Formats: sequence, C-alpha cells, structure tokens
Amino acid sequence: MDELDPVIHAQARLRIMATLATLEADDSITFPRLQELLEMTAGNLSTHLRKLEEPAYVDITKTHRGRTPITYLALSKKGRRAFEDYMDTLRTVLGEQP
Amino acid sequence: MNTPDGAAASPTSDSSHDETTALAPAEMFALLNDQQRAVTAKMTGFVPTIMAAWGGAWLIGFTALFLIDGAAPAFSLPIGLAIGIFVACLAVAIGISIWLGVRSGRGVKSGSDFSGTVYGVTWSGGSLAIAAIGGALLQNGLSPELANLFYPSVFIFFVGIMYLAAGAIWRAVPSIIAGAWLLVIASVAPYIGYPWHYLFFALAGGLGFLLFAILGRNLLNGTSAYRSAGA
Repeated sequence: MDELDPVIHAQARLRIMATLATLEADDSITFPRLQELLEMTAGNLSTHLRKLEEPAYVDITKTHRGRTPITYLALSKKGRRAFEDYMDTLRTVLGEQP
Repeated sequence: MNTPDGAAASPTSDSSHDETTALAPAEMFALLNDQQRAVTAKMTGFVPTIMAAWGGAWLIGFTALFLIDGAAPAFSLPIGLAIGIFVACLAVAIGISIWLGVRSGRGVKSGSDFSGTVYGVTWSGGSLAIAAIGGALLQNGLSPELANLFYPSVFIFFVGIMYLAAGAIWRAVPSIIAGAWLLVIASVAPYIGYPWHYLFFALAGGLGFLLFAILGRNLLNGTSAYRSAGA
C-alpha cells in the first residue's frame, strides 16, 4: 500500500485510469470517444492501454456494429480497485487521511 | 492489489517521452483531479444549454398563454395561436434535450441501465396518469378555469419530482436544486390564479432556468481549466 503502483504511476496511464474511473461500474466507452476525452493520439493511447491490459486493469471488448469493428474499454474490477488503492496511497504520501 | 512485477520497475525507467514519466506526487494528484474534472465538463457540458433551451421555452411559451387574457382588453393573443406557440416551444426544448443528451452519451455503452430505463418510462407513465386524473376531474365537473390552474401546476410538480429523482439516481446536485425550485413554483402558482399564474411560470420558471444555465456554465468553465500533459 505504501508504494505507488508503477503501472498507473505515469502521466498518460494515470489520465486513462482517471477517465475510465469516471464511468459507472457497468459502463464502457469506445476507443475514439476515449481518445477524444484524453486528447491523445491513437498510437499513444494504444500503447498505454496495452500496458494497462497486461495486469488486467482494463477490459477490452471487441464487437461489431454492422461491418464496423468497435472496441469498448472499461476498468476491470481489479483495475478499479488498483486505481482506488493508488489514490489512497497518493493521499497517504501527501499526508492526507485516505 | 499490487502487480507481480510491480516492485522492480522504477516509474521513470521506461520513459521515451514525457507522458510515460511520473511527476511529483502532488502534481500527479493534481493531474488526476484535473483530468476527472475535464472529463466531467466534457460529458456534462451540454446541460447548461438544455437548461437555457427550457428557460427560453418557459419564458416564451407561458408568456403566450398569459397573453390570451392577461393584457386584455388592450391586447389578446388568439387562444389557438397561444397554444401553438406554447407547444412549439416545448417541442423545440424537448428536441434540443434529446439531441444533446444523445450526443454527449455517444461512445458510452451502459452495462445494465435499469435505473435509466425505469426513469425514462416513468416520464411517459406519469404524464399519462396526470392526463387521466385531469380527464376524470373534468368529467366530474372540474371547471375549465380550474383546469387552467390544475394542469400546469401538476405537470410542473411532476417534472420537479422527476428532476429530484434524476438528482438522486445520478448524484447531480444541480438537478436536485432545479427540482426543488419547480416544486415551489408548482405549489405557489395556483394561489396566484388565472391568468397571472402563467406570467409567474414564465418569469419564475423561465428566468430560473436561464439563471441555472448561467450558473452551470460558470461552474463548468471554472473546472475545465485543464490544459497540460497533452499527447
């Protein structure tokens, strides 16, 4: 608990996690919409999503609407917990009560 | 819940460009909060516009109804025209609400939107119930004069309750404030009596919504100052 999770502890990934955490627990968001909210390039977002996918922090669901492939993204339960732990640790580091 | 490989990696060791590095904890905390505020501003930025649309609709629509008898004998708006203006105003406001609501939710899929579905159906169910109760009252001798007081107040009362419910379900304080305000307006208006209660709705409701729109816009502008760490 006293070490900041290195997977989340990078600007881009923290922003991704923070954005996904604003969604309701059962909601997911498409890749382009997430990209728009983050103002990141597609390549950059993909790279960081892969890093978040490795420890299963992010659920990635690929589906189709007609013939168009759509990728939905959401925090997994593990990811949401990791993000909350990260915030708690950050607050502790900053001397606040978690 | 640390990752198995978490302990070894230094947060900055893999940095090839800025965004992969970590800042000082205080800055990371600020970044996190800024990002969430920016997202909220983008996702809810349409709400003040909807409020403004409803403000305009109430102001113009209810003023039209007021002008049927309110300024007589100097001026009188024909009843058909007044109702036409009122309905057109509501239709425009509903259209803007749906369009902006759908647009803001684009790209977001709800897993199980039970509350949202029940809430949506309650709008239609409640409106039909009010129409039925009013119809029964008319059949049992409710005068058109009293119907003039009954319908708008009961509908506005219902809208107020729905705003409060929305505020409770989606934890939106502005919605609760607006809902409470509508309950007050709905309760006070019948005491004012026809036709002045329509002017009251136009001013208290219309200007109220416009005020909420301005306050909401300022609130969102104040929180969307985020601009850093761009990709």
